[in-house]
Amino acid sequence: MNASNEPGESSVPALMLFVTGDAPRSLRAQSNLEAALTKLGCDAIKPLQVDLLEQPEQSVSYSVFATPALLRTKRDGKISTIYGDLSDESKLLDFLKPLAAK
Amino acid sequence: MNETNWRLSKRPTGIDGLDALTHGGLPRGQATLILGDTGTGKTVLGLQVLANAVAQGNGGVFVSFEESPAQLLRNADSFTWGEALTESEAWSSIDARDSIGAEIAGGFDVDGLLAGIGSQARGHDDPWIVIDGIDQLLQHQPDPSASIDQVRQINEHCEKRGWTLLLSGKVGDSGLSPRHLEGIEYMLPTMVVLKASIIDRRLNRFMRVAKYRGSPHVTDEVPMVMNRQGIQLPYLTSLGERRAFADKQRVSTGIPRLDQVLGGGPYRGSSLLISGRPGTAKSTLAAGIAESTADGGNKALLVSFDEMEAPYVRNLSSVGIELQPHIDAERIHFCSLSAMGSLISEHLLKIQQLIEAHEPQCLVIDPVSALLKAPGSEGPRPAIEWLLELTRKNGITTVMTALTDEGDPEGESTLGHVSTIADTWIALDYNVRAGERNRSLSVVKSRGTDHSNQQRELLLSNNGVDLADIYEFGTEVLMGTARAHKQSEMQAATRHEKMQRERRRKDLERRIEQARNEMERLNTELELQEQESREERQFDRDHSDDVKRRRQPDSKKEGEDK
Repeated sequence: MNASNEPGESSVPALMLFVTGDAPRSLRAQSNLEAALTKLGCDAIKPLQVDLLEQPEQSVSYSVFATPALLRTKRDGKISTIYGDLSDESKLLDFLKPLAAK
Repeated sequence: MNETNWRLSKRPTGIDGLDALTHGGLPRGQATLILGDTGTGKTVLGLQVLANAVAQGNGGVFVSFEESPAQLLRNADSFTWGEALTESEAWSSIDARDSIGAEIAGGFDVDGLLAGIGSQARGHDDPWIVIDGIDQLLQHQPDPSASIDQVRQINEHCEKRGWTLLLSGKVGDSGLSPRHLEGIEYMLPTMVVLKASIIDRRLNRFMRVAKYRGSPHVTDEVPMVMNRQGIQLPYLTSLGERRAFADKQRVSTGIPRLDQVLGGGPYRGSSLLISGRPGTAKSTLAAGIAESTADGGNKALLVSFDEMEAPYVRNLSSVGIELQPHIDAERIHFCSLSAMGSLISEHLLKIQQLIEAHEPQCLVIDPVSALLKAPGSEGPRPAIEWLLELTRKNGITTVMTALTDEGDPEGESTLGHVSTIADTWIALDYNVRAGERNRSLSVVKSRGTDHSNQQRELLLSNNGVDLADIYEFGTEVLMGTARAHKQSEMQAATRHEKMQRERRRKDLERRIEQARNEMERLNTELELQEQESREERQFDRDHSDDVKRRRQPDSKKEGEDK
């Protein structure tokens, strides 16, 4: 949703949200993620959104086959993933906590 | 899918047995669900189908939810067809294993998966897509009904794109449906179920086409073998579509008198069952037929269960059957199998491969009853039927020996079915009488042939096998010493009778001689007597003349003067 965060940027984004077009679960995930970031006071973080219908090869590059999927790049460069529409708020908040601590 | 290609088109998988089960292959441009528990061969099936496709110049994508790409290649490499995959760029694998530590926070879609496959499948015409272990992904779906929808979605996506898809998943504990995929079998048009179960401590594999919408198919659960060649269905693999032909040509058993008994020998391409108790010379007779085949310049395949080649050949050599020269000249191929060592279906596959490799005119299975103890849930009956159909179609004369139980020489209990199928059935037995065993042979049946109903004595000697002349005695057929004894007894009696007759003749001759002598004597006597009486009459006449003269004085009286 954020034009400045198109894939292909040199810096590894902290958060990547993989969606498929306007699938209901993808839309839900977007709003759930937004809400959670606001809750944690991390509004500044704009997740990079990847639409696999437009860029299907990214699915293989990032090994993302279930969508929506939220990928967080850890400080050591490793990636942790959470799948689903992010409706499980407590899981989502746990997943995002390290970002808030920064 | 457009208007013109709504018809079901089948796509061969390259696995002969599966293509036979489905009468031509799996539905092209549609999804097939492969269900099976762990270790039933789902992954191998997918790899093998893909390897066959690649070998045919097609390509595809393998999505693995369980194995890494390296594991897949290692897996493929362990099969004879693996090179098609390891050496080819015509396919790609997608490593879709769960990221370690991934969390699930709500429902998800599979569009990403389909998009990813689409990106890899690009450039392939008519690709095969294998999604292996879809249950690994869908089990995380919080709402099971979403899983079902997604399987349907995958199916529709495939139809739209014209992908031929194999979708594999595990079967649940309770029944057909995979865990978390309750009701999935209703979603897809075609379903193949793989099963592996331990029967008699051995792994038996099975395959069943549980569903094939719009097409007839074999509905049976058929035994499946998985070996270096991958997945094979022995009962469904046929050597071409040759029709069985009824050959009028006879083959020799190597024993002229037995050929005679069988009206010239068994027909070429027919089956011959030789049954009998241990030691009744079944192997000898069977191997004799192999030898005779090889003597005629043809090839024979000798499959022996639980007997090693060297002692087998040596033992036969002692009765004048020399296999070694034929084995050296590759006219006889000897193969020793361990009955217990493999499943029935594996034995069949082995025999079939041997037949393909050697193209024999004669197949000897010694003993076929070993298959009875080979493990395999399907039992030996369909195996033997299948084998005979195969050999009949190929004009191979099949000789089977079968061990029967003591006291049940014709072994109805165990051999009932084999003897029903076999064209000719020779029963061997012993006759125990007067302290000895004699081997006997009788032809129980021989289809299409005039055959003798008599039991005959089978003779084994250094010079080979032969049948003794029938020796009937009243209502009995005698054998062995009894036969010899009876024979000499009869000879003695004849001799005795002859001597008696001679004596009587001599006696009569003597008596005739005597009578003739007597007659001569009497004749002489008669002559003498007649002479005497003649002389007497003369004397009387002289005397009366004399008297007359004396009474007449005028006559001379010389005598009275004295």
